Amino acid sequence: MSVGKEFTKGLYAENPVFKQALGLCPTLAVSNSVRNAVGMGLAMTFVLVLSNIIVSLIRRFVPRKIRIPIYIVVIATFVTIVDLVMAGFAPDLHKALGIFVPLIVVNCIILGRAEAFAGRNSVFRSLLDGLGMGFGFSLALFVLAFIREILGDGRLYGFPLLGPGFEPMLIMILPPGAFLTIGLLMGLMNWLDKRRCS
Amino acid sequence: MKDVLRMAWILGVVTVLAAAVLGAVNHVAKPRIEEQRRLALEQALLSALPKADPRAIVPVYEGDEIVYYKGYAQPDTTGLVGYAFVARGAGYSSEIETLVGVDTTGQIIGLKILREVETPGLGTKIEEVRYGEKDPWFQRQFIGKRARQLAVDKDGGEIVSVTGATISSRAVTNSIRKGLEELEKRLGGFSKTAQQVSD
Repeated sequence: MSVGKEFTKGLYAENPVFKQALGLCPTLAVSNSVRNAVGMGLAMTFVLVLSNIIVSLIRRFVPRKIRIPIYIVVIATFVTIVDLVMAGFAPDLHKALGIFVPLIVVNCIILGRAEAFAGRNSVFRSLLDGLGMGFGFSLALFVLAFIREILGDGRLYGFPLLGPGFEPMLIMILPPGAFLTIGLLMGLMNWLDKRRCS
Repeated sequence: MKDVLRMAWILGVVTVLAAAVLGAVNHVAKPRIEEQRRLALEQALLSALPKADPRAIVPVYEGDEIVYYKGYAQPDTTGLVGYAFVARGAGYSSEIETLVGVDTTGQIIGLKILREVETPGLGTKIEEVRYGEKDPWFQRQFIGKRARQLAVDKDGGEIVSVTGATISSRAVTNSIRKGLEELEKRLGGFSKTAQQVSD
């Protein structure tokens, strides 16, 4: 696979949310406003890139039998760094994301990439893979949040957009709204892919 | 056996390294985190006791715990303008903490929600500031009220709850009422007339 593809595959062809259907729990929870989505996307990308780099660096020293606990330690370390730095330097964002920052530890996208990619590929390719997957996840969150915040709250990035005459569709910012939006977008993507093939 | 020892050694090294990195980051971030907490509380105290001098809001301890704050009009702590306390109540998905300021007669003069992790778009509307307004409409309702007036509309009270977030609204309202009643007990009753403050 070409080096450029290692990056771009995460954006669409292997998008973690829409194509691999990984990490859906935080996706459902924090894609209710664009502000949360962007913050979560950046935090995830940071952890994903660094954990991919470290996992790839140490892949030759790590015995197969204990690779998973070692990956978890590496991932948990970076997540804790993000959590501490956010609490100290971006308290509002930290407050808004709440429990979902510590929960990045158990986000299966990160462990999935460590196991399926970074543990078997060079540092440079793992970095690109982490960046691509991170951006792909952020992109998916952003698209979902964009749709849900406008329909469910009449706002965009916290600013009133549709005016006081608009009656927000509450269901869109609650979890069912996320399920509906993800389902419809996945369906749309499958339809587009099918049409392009034939 | 040799294999087990080798794995234990590698896992040990990895965890020690991780702990060292985290220790370093914590060392840098901790003072900042405490500073942010202090700033948030300080700002909340100022909005809860708007007439108090920023240098003359003093905590009152019971054991090691701060049970309430006294606010004075002058920096030399004369001219008591009121009290502030933190009210805590279980909301829908979090414990909601509100800092409440009252005057010497027990009438609410200011409040600020310190912490809540309620449902975004529903429960979080207890902090919503409507377009073109300066302060959150839900919290504004409490200003000028006393303990006995504090109940949400569904419970027959005067506080209009947030649509779709009765539990969050009720948590804030009831925790403030309880806090006020506790404060009254601690003080042995509020004064009947407001103290005259010349400023």
